[in-house]
Amino acid sequence: MEAFFAFVCVFLALTALVASEASDILSAVISLSVFGVLMAMVFVILQAPDVALTQAVINSGLVTSFFLVAYSQTQKKSLPKQEKDPGDDI
Amino acid sequence: MRLRDRLHDLVLLCLCLGMGWWLWEGVAAIDDPEYIIGPAAYYLVNTAKETGAVNVVAAILFDYRGIDTLGEATVIYTTVCGVAMLFSKSKYKKSSAGLSFIARRGISFVVPFLFMYGSAIILMGHLSPGGGFQGGAVFATITILFCIVFGSSFEASRISPKTKETIESLGGLLFVFIGGVGLLAGAGFLANTAAGFPRGQVGNFLSAGTIPLLNVAVGMKVGAGLSTIFYSMVKVLDLEFNEQLTEVMDNDKN
Repeated sequence: MEAFFAFVCVFLALTALVASEASDILSAVISLSVFGVLMAMVFVILQAPDVALTQAVINSGLVTSFFLVAYSQTQKKSLPKQEKDPGDDI
Repeated sequence: MRLRDRLHDLVLLCLCLGMGWWLWEGVAAIDDPEYIIGPAAYYLVNTAKETGAVNVVAAILFDYRGIDTLGEATVIYTTVCGVAMLFSKSKYKKSSAGLSFIARRGISFVVPFLFMYGSAIILMGHLSPGGGFQGGAVFATITILFCIVFGSSFEASRISPKTKETIESLGGLLFVFIGGVGLLAGAGFLANTAAGFPRGQVGNFLSAGTIPLLNVAVGMKVGAGLSTIFYSMVKVLDLEFNEQLTEVMDNDKN
């Protein structure tokens, strides 16, 4: 079990690093969502299931969808400027 | 410049790994029972006796610290009002057509289970982990899934924004009303068993006095509130683009 805790903690650090360092915003958002799920696991291990439920729902459901909506509405720097079609966004 | 970036990365790596190590230390130290001291020990011993709730966290949230929860609910209410007011414009014109047929069918199969899951979290809040806030967030996630998969106009046609407003306000009113009952009984605002609410058998579904009722109230508030925030943001983003388009066309005419 200790090994599992250590694995989760190392993976948490890794996903946090990817979320802060990734140049592609989409990978950063998805990595943050994975971070939230792992964090929920840690909360269960730390015997706080109430907080774990909140963390799982809010971080991997609501926050990810908010970030994805924001991502879909911003203009990407690397792409050439183009007229957006309102139909293909959320 | 490149060296500075590397240094920056290194510092961040050390910070993340250090925090992960710290967390692991905390996890490893959890087995010691001598950590339960002070108020925690009191709550663990007396909660079931005083409130009839098995879930100590829910008992603290809705009984011992009920007025704090009311303050929290007020914060969410204010946020929802602010966002809805900022983004309140006339009716949006266009929404997305949604995702593919397969995604729609898949979501249709999943949604009833999600619905049951959210209801269980809210209604069993005093027995098992969960409660109004968590269950409300699950309900908000259902409406967000509808928004994404079927398009925001479909979501609005099924659950109109007006209905959401009504549900949220009703949740807030229910919370204050239950608190007022305690006040009328002379036991103080948001009093539970002291105000004459039946405590019931510990562990039964119908037990713990006001706690399940307050869970339902908070669930209504949070679910409707969060989905209102998401809906109004998505709606105005659709709208903004259309307005920009019409502005450009007007300028062209002039």
